Amino acid sequence: MLKFLKQVSDYTKETVQAAKYIGQGLSVTFDHMRRRPVTVQYPYEKLIPSERYRGRIHFEFDKCISCEVCVRVCPINLPVVDWEFDKETKKKKLKHYSIDFGVCIFCANCVEYCPTNCLSATEEYELAAYDRHELNYDSVAMGRLPYKVTDDPMVTPMRELAYLPKGVIDPHDLPADARRAGKRPEEIAEQ
Amino acid sequence: MNSGIDLQGSVIQILTGLGIPPGAAKVIWMPMPMLLMLAVATVAVLVSVWLERKISAAVQQRIGPEYAGPFGVLQPAADGLKLIFKEDIVPAKADPWLFTLGPILVVLPVFVSYLIVPFGQNLIISDVGVAIFLWIALSSVQPIGLLMAGYSSNNKYSLLGGLRAAAQSISYEIPMALAVLAVVMMSNSLSTIDIVNQQSSYGILGWYVWRQPVGFLIFWIAALAECERLPFDLPEAEEELVAGYQTEYAGMKFGLFYVGSYVNLTLSALLVAVLYFGGWEFPIPIEWFAGWFGVSETTPWFQILAGVIGITMTLLKAYFFVFLAILLRWTVPRVRIDQLLNLGWKFLLPVGLVNLLLTAALKITFPFAFGG
Repeated sequence: MLKFLKQVSDYTKETVQAAKYIGQGLSVTFDHMRRRPVTVQYPYEKLIPSERYRGRIHFEFDKCISCEVCVRVCPINLPVVDWEFDKETKKKKLKHYSIDFGVCIFCANCVEYCPTNCLSATEEYELAAYDRHELNYDSVAMGRLPYKVTDDPMVTPMRELAYLPKGVIDPHDLPADARRAGKRPEEIAEQ
Repeated sequence: MNSGIDLQGSVIQILTGLGIPPGAAKVIWMPMPMLLMLAVATVAVLVSVWLERKISAAVQQRIGPEYAGPFGVLQPAADGLKLIFKEDIVPAKADPWLFTLGPILVVLPVFVSYLIVPFGQNLIISDVGVAIFLWIALSSVQPIGLLMAGYSSNNKYSLLGGLRAAAQSISYEIPMALAVLAVVMMSNSLSTIDIVNQQSSYGILGWYVWRQPVGFLIFWIAALAECERLPFDLPEAEEELVAGYQTEYAGMKFGLFYVGSYVNLTLSALLVAVLYFGGWEFPIPIEWFAGWFGVSETTPWFQILAGVIGITMTLLKAYFFVFLAILLRWTVPRVRIDQLLNLGWKFLLPVGLVNLLLTAALKITFPFAFGG
């Protein structure tokens, strides 16, 4: 009899505990309801890409010396460098340059090794096209200035997580002069 | 106790005044509340779906539907329209008759159950004497439809889902009936109107939650299980069974299941409000207000006001429980099938029985407090 009563009381205790835990869980979910959504509503709000962002590659035609280093360091030899040797100046003359961004993996090795800095990584990432062949950018397309989130009047730029003040995880309603956590690059350079 | 507004009586009176024989007037009257209730139930579904999406989003710190109408209120309508215009696919090896009949059999009893939901003394389609019993009986038709849908789809997941739905509905019907029985015992009536009237004397203190807290919890858990809401949504457990008995459905047949589940949720919430939270009663009886301000209870404008307050209170209480169900959905993890049956048979059933016996004992000991 005593054993049975103990079983009953244990069972009741467990039930009460389970109810308590469900109550705790409910208070957590209820608390979340009053928090602001962290959603970045994409076409109207966009995150500002970080300064090391490797987006679409920018190319400056006049700087290129057709050395083909970019082709050699590319994992799949992607850049197409079309040049011909000019006998009079005894220099290579670049005719066409192109990279197919449908195949590019944006490792930016070409940018890293380019001896004349004619290649650079932009913060542009909206490369969607209706036809994959449109992604094969020639030197004109690659020479275009990149789209900037902060320059677009239709877009509210949002800071990425690493650029928010300490303890803040939501980029909305942030004062414009709020300092990011930690030291800024120029302060590190000063030391 | 005054009878409140008698819409049926006044409409029939107006119609006979226009020279229509009383019999014909009654025939003209009869479909009106039914159509109104159908419209109310459909709108209630749209509201519930919108609430589900918005509250789910809020709980997960998302925004939810935002562009279809203000705050996305038209999103459920857009969903419904999309489902209507989708192709109606019947799998080649499915049984076309049972496949079509399944969703219909799931939806119909839920809509018919709205027959017994009271929004006021006379604001009910039909004050059936065995109202609550009728609802319990109708809700056990649903698993047949689910089983039909699962079996006729000719798909293993559908069959499993259908079987689980049937097992779950049957297991949880018993504790639910026991909880209801305790309420019925206290009010000496199966009629929903009588049950609410029994709770009406002392305002919020007279509601059955205070006298039937255990019964209320059992009823709520069982109602969640009957509606296949998340802690108990095993029949459609998407991680294991694709979508359970709904797997093979598309277009409006799927839409019927979808509508059925939300109508059922709203219905259960309404019934919790009616059985345990005083139905259309305001926390302080409005008849007292009439007494304080010296207004006769039979004044037309007071009766209209009382009717409006009654409808608002019923809906408010019901939607509070819809909200609670949605919040629970994102709080409680899903139980396993054996845990589900254990909870039903080894916990809710004995607790329900003890609750019933205790109610009976209390009714004999304190007849004034427990409706002797």
